[in-house]
Amino acid sequence: MMNRFNHLPTLKIDVSDKIPFTYKGKTYYGTKGDTIATALYANGVRIYARSLKYHRPRGLYSMDGECSNTMMEVNGIPNVRTETTALKPGMVVKEQNVKGSAENDLMGFIDKMDWAMPAGFYYDTMHKPAKIWPVAMKQIRKAAGIGKLAPDHHMPGKYDEIFPSCDVCVIGGGPAGMKAALAAAQKGLRVSIMEARPWLGGHFEYRSSEYISRQTHHERAVQLAKEVEKTENIRVFTHTANVGVYNNNLITGFQVGKESDSFTERYIEIRANSVVVATGCIERPLLFENNERPGVMQAGCALRLANTYGILPGKIAVFSIGHDLGLETAVALHDLGLSIPVIADIREDGQDPAMLKAVLDRKITILKGWVATEAHGGKQVKKVTIKSVDGTISKTFDCDVLVASAGFTPLTGPLVVNQAKLTYDNHTNFFLPTDLPKKMYAAGRLLGFENAKSIEASGHLAGLKAAYDCENCSIADLGEAKKAMENLPGPARGTKLVTAPVKGRKTFICFDEDTSIKNIKQSIDKGFDVPELIKRFSGAGLGPGQGGIPGHNLPLFAAKYQALPDIKIKPTTVRAPLVPTLIATYAGTNHTMFKRTPMDEMQRKDGGIFRNIGVWQRARYFSKDFTCKKEIENVRTNVGMLDGSTLGKFRIHGPDALNALQRVYVSDLSKIKEGRVKYTAMCNDDGCVIDDGVVIKRGENDYYFSTSTGRAGQTIEWIRYHTRYDNWNFAVINLTDAMGVINLSGPNARKVLEKVVDIDVSNEGFGFSEYKEFKISDTIPVRAMRLGFVGELSYELHVPSSYMKSVWLMLKEAGREFKIQNFGVEAQNVLRMEKCHIILGQESEQRTNLLDIGLGFLWSRKKTGCKTVGVAALAQAEKDNTRLKLVGFKMENNGRAPKDGSLIVDDRVRGYVCTARNSFSLNEAVGMALVEGDMSKIGTRLAFYEDECKGELIYGTVVQTPFYDPDGKRMKM
Amino acid sequence: MFSKSKPMWGKKTKLKSSYDVVLIGGGLHSLATAYYLAKEHGITDVAIIEKNYIGYGGAGRNTAIVRANQRTQYNVPLYKEALDLWPVLTKELDYNLMFNNCGNLNLMHSEAAMNAARMTIATAQFHGVESHLIDAREAKELVPALNISEDITFPIHGAMFHPPGGVVRHDAVVWGLAKGAAKMGVEIHQQTEATGINTKNGKVTAVVTDRGVINTKQVLISAGGYSAALIHGFLGIKLPISVLTIQAMVTQPLKPILNHVVSSGAYHCYANQTLKGEIATGAHMDQWPNYTTLTTAHYIKHQAEALSEFLPALRGVRFMRIWGGLADMTPDMAPIMDGNDQVEGFFMDCGWGYFGFKSCSAVGRHMASFMATNTCPDILKPFALKRYQEHKLMGETAALVSYTPDN
Ligand SMILES: Cc1cc2nc3c(=O)[nH]c(=O)nc-3n(C[C@H](O)[C@H](O)[C@H](O)COP(=O)(O)OP(=O)(O)OC[C@H]3O[C@@H](n4cnc5c(N)ncnc54)[C@H](O)[C@@H]3O)c2cc1C
Repeated sequence: MMNRFNHLPTLKIDVSDKIPFTYKGKTYYGTKGDTIATALYANGVRIYARSLKYHRPRGLYSMDGECSNTMMEVNGIPNVRTETTALKPGMVVKEQNVKGSAENDLMGFIDKMDWAMPAGFYYDTMHKPAKIWPVAMKQIRKAAGIGKLAPDHHMPGKYDEIFPSCDVCVIGGGPAGMKAALAAAQKGLRVSIMEARPWLGGHFEYRSSEYISRQTHHERAVQLAKEVEKTENIRVFTHTANVGVYNNNLITGFQVGKESDSFTERYIEIRANSVVVATGCIERPLLFENNERPGVMQAGCALRLANTYGILPGKIAVFSIGHDLGLETAVALHDLGLSIPVIADIREDGQDPAMLKAVLDRKITILKGWVATEAHGGKQVKKVTIKSVDGTISKTFDCDVLVASAGFTPLTGPLVVNQAKLTYDNHTNFFLPTDLPKKMYAAGRLLGFENAKSIEASGHLAGLKAAYDCENCSIADLGEAKKAMENLPGPARGTKLVTAPVKGRKTFICFDEDTSIKNIKQSIDKGFDVPELIKRFSGAGLGPGQGGIPGHNLPLFAAKYQALPDIKIKPTTVRAPLVPTLIATYAGTNHTMFKRTPMDEMQRKDGGIFRNIGVWQRARYFSKDFTCKKEIENVRTNVGMLDGSTLGKFRIHGPDALNALQRVYVSDLSKIKEGRVKYTAMCNDDGCVIDDGVVIKRGENDYYFSTSTGRAGQTIEWIRYHTRYDNWNFAVINLTDAMGVINLSGPNARKVLEKVVDIDVSNEGFGFSEYKEFKISDTIPVRAMRLGFVGELSYELHVPSSYMKSVWLMLKEAGREFKIQNFGVEAQNVLRMEKCHIILGQESEQRTNLLDIGLGFLWSRKKTGCKTVGVAALAQAEKDNTRLKLVGFKMENNGRAPKDGSLIVDDRVRGYVCTARNSFSLNEAVGMALVEGDMSKIGTRLAFYEDECKGELIYGTVVQTPFYDPDGKRMKM
Repeated sequence: MFSKSKPMWGKKTKLKSSYDVVLIGGGLHSLATAYYLAKEHGITDVAIIEKNYIGYGGAGRNTAIVRANQRTQYNVPLYKEALDLWPVLTKELDYNLMFNNCGNLNLMHSEAAMNAARMTIATAQFHGVESHLIDAREAKELVPALNISEDITFPIHGAMFHPPGGVVRHDAVVWGLAKGAAKMGVEIHQQTEATGINTKNGKVTAVVTDRGVINTKQVLISAGGYSAALIHGFLGIKLPISVLTIQAMVTQPLKPILNHVVSSGAYHCYANQTLKGEIATGAHMDQWPNYTTLTTAHYIKHQAEALSEFLPALRGVRFMRIWGGLADMTPDMAPIMDGNDQVEGFFMDCGWGYFGFKSCSAVGRHMASFMATNTCPDILKPFALKRYQEHKLMGETAALVSYTPDN
């Protein structure tokens, strides 16, 4: 392991604290504070991976993870960006996408096959003859993708989520961001900062150059960070990448946990009133032949390797840069011992004089108007050719590092994903954000400022603007801050060069997809002339790092290649997540949210087998016998209890309550009497049944009604919507969760009930279809109905949820002598089917109207002036015989029931089975089906086509319904 | 073989003042219609008018899932034809559409869902389309990453397995059809916006664009999510269409882990692995109608929560890109294909929601025949607009759907 600096004030490592990790099966040591990539670099690793398509060797390039160069498998998790991931003891690090090793990859030869793989080549190949495609596809699949994930991969760690809010959210914790945060906080606002790196400070943090006399940029960063951290109303999220910005300033990000944190990563979603984006810049890659050879790196990367991580990037470095940060890096690294034979500066002039002087003082050769055109060396840089920008003169230098950077790219992602526009700016050569969304401001380097004071002042101003949006800042304060800006240098001039004068066969505009300049030209020649299409056709920007590398080079190059007079074309759309984010992190703490009825616990104790039904969990069976024979027979011959609490339950009251009910229900509810239960249905505008239930009049202008389980959530909205122009005076209250329901059914139901209640429950005292309110033990209020859904004597008891358990236990106790049993939803399903009582959604589908399922009798045609929803459509549909009608059927020759969902066919599909069972009560197979009108006559023979029947049909006949107790004596007894 | 680098869909030409047929929208349906107009009917004086660039709309944003296991007998044959056309088109266009017929698994999470699936499966089998009901264990054998344990939100009971379905490269279809159509003389005018349709005596006379008026007797609007607004704006015809944003996303590319399209209604989530190795996932639409293609914070989180449960291995992979497109939904989740109805010479092909990719080839072919012969092919008849006036919905969905507060 190389010697590492341990004296620099900027260092984030502690060389005395060694951290062991495994790489390619061997143990290595990094130091505390290392990223995985810097630890590997310190151990001499230069080739981290092989590229996707050509298996080109790839190395450390940017340090901010814009590309896949240093993605590796870590602890079984693929595609970990090792350059931004902190090293932890015991990590197991592996190379990806290699046959052999990254150093010696057997697939490396593919790099020479590029001639056979022009942009979009796969569309023109591998389909002739057709039979080679399946084989080729397998190979493509194997070759594609980088990381590997096992199908049974178990993700270790804890993933959390938080949803804080604040007044001002600042994205980016550099000097501009910190200044913005301080400005807003000083106005008394609650501020959050999201910073992707583990510490505040941005591009000041790692620079030992002078900020003002006797203060370095680094010291300034530390000073600001201290100020921020001690400000109580600023909440700092470091190591938190911003990944999305949405309407109304909803900001998302994820934070990587420190060792002391209780989470591995956590999803953070901040609702802010106003936002400042101060995300700074990344470097714009310089394009030349082999511009991604290991050893080629950006200026910031080289500088941070040394200043932050204590590693001198190499021995001899050639520089090919286009900005003062490049010069500053050269000076700093020279002073740390790097030998620099030459700096090729793209700019003919315009360098910062002080910087230039520092370079010349150190006797470093600087060639202005020169640029690197080719990196030589098979796996790592060994030599570099530089040329004058016009391509006429060339020189070659030996080196092991090439620091290359064309300019800067502003990180406008957070603004753009929230709909800011980008406009090309000729001065900075940036695509600058314009049309910023409301309450969102940009500050700092991303606007093109390079002067430290200007950067800070722009942050301060943006912070005040954000505070102004929170009504905590005066116009005068804003004016002052604006004025301060005016006296400071404006945005710096940016270099325009994209590519060195090269043919571009091995000049990569996108590393992840191995897209060369030549590929871009091929795409444009084929008609893919806008960046969005070039991207799709050539793949540039589609890889793991998305637009990180090709970003703004792509539109700049496309404009240049097409000789467009002005740069109107835009970069490709930046999309969330701005940083690739683990599914585990997005998922956060997994929440399962089902509603449970008040009887949930008791039914589980009784052996209930539960299923999710809509938003509820309900007991579907009470034994492993899913035909439910015992449960069914018990209800038919004895007495059973069903938990019906999921039914929708509502009170509607007020002077116009009846009007509202008349609007949505097809029956005439003006006729209902107190003490009676009225079964009715709701339709939509197509006359299709959407709900059924009972309505009870409890008093003047006061009704209680039930809906099916599935509709409970929408019912109030439905009524409100359909009465929205009437200005009616009524109120609807959803009592679904407030009340529970027990269904006591079976010939012995009365005997059980009379033991529990004081009222007369004889058939005379409490007849079929009647409604009663009473109290049990003078305490528990009960709303009781005599209904017959399952076709037996039944009582439906509606009781406040808090009393449900008591009533349940009382009934159970009372029923003990009869051996009362639970029954579940499936038993109920069969019981009611035998009675041909429908369940919406089972005997009906979206297109089924009231008439189709034989509920036409509910529709009151005499009711006038109510504008009842759906009746116009019903009137129209009445004569249509092509609709599917609900029929009952029995099987021929005592045959078995067809499976639910079987088709009814002749030479085409004529209908299908809704529910069919081998009935224990009837001792034969019966069912209900929806069939075309002409087949609905009694006696029609039905041919059933079941799945996997291979054409073997079974047969049945349409019969009268109901099957069970046709006269309804049992439920009325 | 790669040396020729001509523009694939012709040089940029001047817009003429008249064409036999004008197609508005440069998506899949227009391109396919143009292709078949030229190929099967010899009608080549055709202009496609595209506001942005071809494939800008749903054509370039969909997740490219193809299948023919729809619910009703009206739909299955149409989608089956479309499914069978991918290899044919690959050959005809001499362009690799990269049909990956990996098969689709539609997970079922309850007894009721299994029964509902059985009806769909029987319908497929009755029409000669392969589809089977399999249990959870069989599903796990096909998709080893599947979590079939009981303790997830929606335990898996089984699946509808449809082997002939899969994924086609959507961009390739756009470009291939454009190439094929252009070769036969169809003109594709990008960056040209249709702004109106002129009629006289109930007949189409011209299409107005921002580059001039085009005289024509026949015009098709198949502009994806924008169709309903254009049709209403140009001709005053109101369609029962709600436009909603639908989002999709991909993870970083992985080596093969998922060999089928896996979808789940209960989780509102489907996932498949593209040939590039990304896991593509999406499913349900935003619940409020709008014409934006904005993504939301909650949708990507929802997808992560869902995948974490039924494909938990994917917790270890990263989402890298989410995008949105428009879904133009009809009340019965079946499209509207009609023509010469209220205005002679006016045709429409819209309401394709989130399923208009898989159908485009067959639909283009039949719409071309409709336009060329002025007679509606039998297979398209059930999709006429008048079904809504007659309150006869298609039955493509069993469940009640509600895109707007009123239905
Ligand atoms: C996220 C997502 C996932 C999807 N997944 C699938 C899937 O897996 N399987 C499937 O089958 N389907 C899927 N779809 C649906 C499918 O993409 C669409 O149904 C289909 O693309 C629509 O048809 P189209 O291609 O003809 O229209 P589009 O591609 O939407 O074309 C409409 C075109 O019209 C243009 N236009 C609009 N206004 C004008 C004007 N005034 N003048 C000129 N041009 C105009 C637009 O610019 C656009 O290019 C999905 C859709 C989305 C958004």
